Amino acid sequence: MNALIFSAVSGVIMMFSSFLLNNKNSVRVLAHVLLLATIIANIFELRGISFFHIDTRGMLEFDRFALLFTLVANVCTFAFFLLSSRDLEKIGNHYSDYFSLLFFILAGIVVSSSFKSLLMLFLGIEILSIPLYILTGSDKRNLKSNEASLKYFLMGSFSTGLMLMGIALIYGATGTFQTGITVAEKVPVLLITGMMLLLFSMSFKVSAAPFHFWTPDVYDGAPTVVTSFMATVVKAAGFIAFMRLFAEEFGSIRPEWKLLVGIVAAVTLFIGNITAVFQQSVKRMLAYSSISQAGFMMLAIYSLSNDAKEGLILYAAAYSLATIGIFAVLVRMKDYTFEGFNGFAKQQPFLAGILVVFLLSLAGIPLTAGFLSKFYMLKATIDGGSLALAIFAVLMAAVSVYYYFRLIQSMYFKTGNATISGTTTGFKYTLAALAGITILLGIFPNLLTNWLYF
Amino acid sequence: MGITQILFWILAITAIFSALMVVISKNPVYSVLWLIVTFFTISGHYILLNAQFLAVVNIIVYAGAIMVLFLFVIMLMNLNKETEPQKSKWLKLAGAVAGGCLLLVLVAGLRHTEKQMTEMVTGDIGLIQNLGKVLFKDYVVPFEISSILFLSAMVGAVVLGKKEPRIPVETEMRKVEETQQAINI
Amino acid sequence: MFSLEGITKSLQDWLYLNFNPTWALVIECLIVIVLAIALFAFLGLVLVLMERKVAAHMQIRLGPNRVGPKGMFQTAADTLKLIMKEGLTPDGADKFLFNLAPFVVMIVAMLILAPIAFAKGFQIWDINIGVLYVSAISSLSVIGILMAGWASNNKYSLLGAMRSGAQIVSYELSAGISILCIVVLSGSLSINEIIASQQNGWWLFKGHIPVIIAFVIFMIAVTAETNRAPFDLAEAESELTAGFHTEYSGMKFALFFLAEYINIFIVCAIGATLFLGGWMPFHIGNWQDFNHIMDYIPSSIWFFGKTFFLIFLIMWFRWTFPRLRVDQLLNLEWKYLLPISLFNLLLVTVIAIFGWHF
Repeated sequence: MNALIFSAVSGVIMMFSSFLLNNKNSVRVLAHVLLLATIIANIFELRGISFFHIDTRGMLEFDRFALLFTLVANVCTFAFFLLSSRDLEKIGNHYSDYFSLLFFILAGIVVSSSFKSLLMLFLGIEILSIPLYILTGSDKRNLKSNEASLKYFLMGSFSTGLMLMGIALIYGATGTFQTGITVAEKVPVLLITGMMLLLFSMSFKVSAAPFHFWTPDVYDGAPTVVTSFMATVVKAAGFIAFMRLFAEEFGSIRPEWKLLVGIVAAVTLFIGNITAVFQQSVKRMLAYSSISQAGFMMLAIYSLSNDAKEGLILYAAAYSLATIGIFAVLVRMKDYTFEGFNGFAKQQPFLAGILVVFLLSLAGIPLTAGFLSKFYMLKATIDGGSLALAIFAVLMAAVSVYYYFRLIQSMYFKTGNATISGTTTGFKYTLAALAGITILLGIFPNLLTNWLYF
Repeated sequence: MGITQILFWILAITAIFSALMVVISKNPVYSVLWLIVTFFTISGHYILLNAQFLAVVNIIVYAGAIMVLFLFVIMLMNLNKETEPQKSKWLKLAGAVAGGCLLLVLVAGLRHTEKQMTEMVTGDIGLIQNLGKVLFKDYVVPFEISSILFLSAMVGAVVLGKKEPRIPVETEMRKVEETQQAINI
Repeated sequence: MFSLEGITKSLQDWLYLNFNPTWALVIECLIVIVLAIALFAFLGLVLVLMERKVAAHMQIRLGPNRVGPKGMFQTAADTLKLIMKEGLTPDGADKFLFNLAPFVVMIVAMLILAPIAFAKGFQIWDINIGVLYVSAISSLSVIGILMAGWASNNKYSLLGAMRSGAQIVSYELSAGISILCIVVLSGSLSINEIIASQQNGWWLFKGHIPVIIAFVIFMIAVTAETNRAPFDLAEAESELTAGFHTEYSGMKFALFFLAEYINIFIVCAIGATLFLGGWMPFHIGNWQDFNHIMDYIPSSIWFFGKTFFLIFLIMWFRWTFPRLRVDQLLNLEWKYLLPISLFNLLLVTVIAIFGWHF
């Protein structure tokens, strides 16, 4: 509740900040301070101190899983602010409004990661999505951004429609919005139909395979800073909501959907990885890579064990940090294609080294957080009884190495004049810190996962 | 058959017919108008369920505000039959099959539900007093949280709708060029 | 004593005695329809004449004075002329919508009559959310206008319809909010209960400042909602020929014309109900003798008297203020009226919560 109220209020404050503060820098500093306050408030709640005592009538439950993920999302957002807030201001004139939209998204993340009622799930997902539609189209003079925004909006509202219909059917079958259904012996058809609709719409929100068509275009068209945020924090939040929904609401009818989720995961892995191989633009490659990483995260929903829960949190952190880091560099590049990175290591050896850490983490090479999170997922999958799916996932991870290493190859082994602008020392140190966290989590994952228990 | 039942059948048939016409109509203006008819029939159903407040709110929000804006936009764009893109035959077939499957599943799902789930006329949850009590007692948290949703939508409307101050010509030209390049790709 | 309530009650008793409930209901419906149409025809005749007479009075001239005594049958003659005229449908028009539009506008106007209390106990449908119902239905007339404008296939018509749409959608907000002020104070959405809450004084004269502000905003907003001058941009004759009904002639034109006046009557009736006590007679505190005398005047006369006073006010506006430009019109609503009325609503809510009203 702390994080929810803090981030909502911060959004309102940011909304007014542009006409109270007429200085871009002070607006930015204010945003950082507010986010830091939100993080601290959330840590307090994680330690059992809640500032607000609100009777939610069982509609929200702030358990450790939800709180920890909120913390991860907030910290990733803070990293995003540190690295990219200057670029956020370059999108257009409403810089304070962009921050306020981001805070509203954070509020949505809290709601959608702690819901106990389908109504709250819907609200949370909507609060996540609507500011994103707007941020996608915030570069108003760029036709591609407009197109991406419209596409995202139309597809997104369609999937929201599916979700609402699913919720309505489930309500019809069970007579309640609260999660945690109990089924006698025969599962009613209405419930199954509702569950399927929810599965589809949630798959859309996290861009899992048959519903991934919007992803490349939207991620490519949106301003790169925004892409960086929506491909990481928001997507992870979608997975947390997905997992919570299927663990709590449909946990008791698991045999009905297990196979389907497995298939979705496999297809997502396949399509994401194979298509990413053929991309020429790094931004588009990252879009497809986000689809393939989504496939890995789907494995957590497939297995639904404690390992999967830990793994999903770790995955969210590892994937978000690495992708935010890569995007922060990408925003500053002149050319977004692979050729644009040719000879990058000669000019910026430090940045190139950090990028390598991030890419290795995404590819899942040992000693990075990405490896361990993939490991958790595979372990959970094998425990969940599907060796074949785990083997397939490993194969696909091997494919992913190709396109991540392609970027390393063009940075180190090709000559060219990669141009980057606006890299300050602070920026470099922040990136280095992110890389440090990535390696640290790769060696001591307990630093993060222990929070789930103590 | 009492008057309530007669009204129910009339409303139900009109609702289904007009909903179909929304989809079938070639002219978007007709689609919107049929949609308004659909909303009216749904409001009629609400009134049959003694939920007058919901009925009226349905009319205010959908027929009165949203559909008017729809009409506005569609009429200003002056969409004609010629501008409608031609879809391939297979796509249409696939759509029909998928929609048919959904229909089949929904019919199967609804067939097994308990009958008499609705309370005609006697139910009073739709009256404004009860609704207000439920909304502000049991559902006050979602109600408050939805304010975040609306606030963000409002901020978004300002962000998207507000006129940008003129930017220098060079940057504008550069942006135009970038856009053209993007389109060429 | 002669009272409309008694007549309706005995009629209903008689119907339910002699028919089974379904048929009684059907017959009641028919009677109501006939009465409504009669009221419409009567109002059309009276209001058009009133408008012309008021205009003439404002401009120091005589106005219609040839047909009948003091020109009283002028409108009847005009109506006859319109009926005789050929109803043209332009070639490029969307025939179906073009012909449907006037009826949509009329039907919407008729629907609003349902919850209005014309006299004590004389009401078609005592719905428990009457005020909300009225504002919901009145927002629909714009659909008919948009249909007419679009189907005419004429630039003037389309522009007029668009303007009218923008105007109605925006002014609906402040009209709705000023209605809410009264709802908050009286604690009910039902028209009957709102009238009953004015037993010991009309809201406008009880001395609540926010109510006075709400009344002023309400009058401005409804003038705009009915497309009356100075907000008659939808049919600004100097720019758009006749706006959305440029292409209409004959009886179809007459329907639009009639609907406009009916709408004026309805919004004024609502204004009279909310702010001036509906059919409630004028009472002064505890002065029993005076109050008794007032009670002797039939409630229907009170209601129509107040309504026609407000109608006169709106007609007065027409000859007092110059027409606004379209951007001024929207600025007035979104930048002035809406913030003021929102603040006003807040004020009223505070008053109601602390119980400072009386």
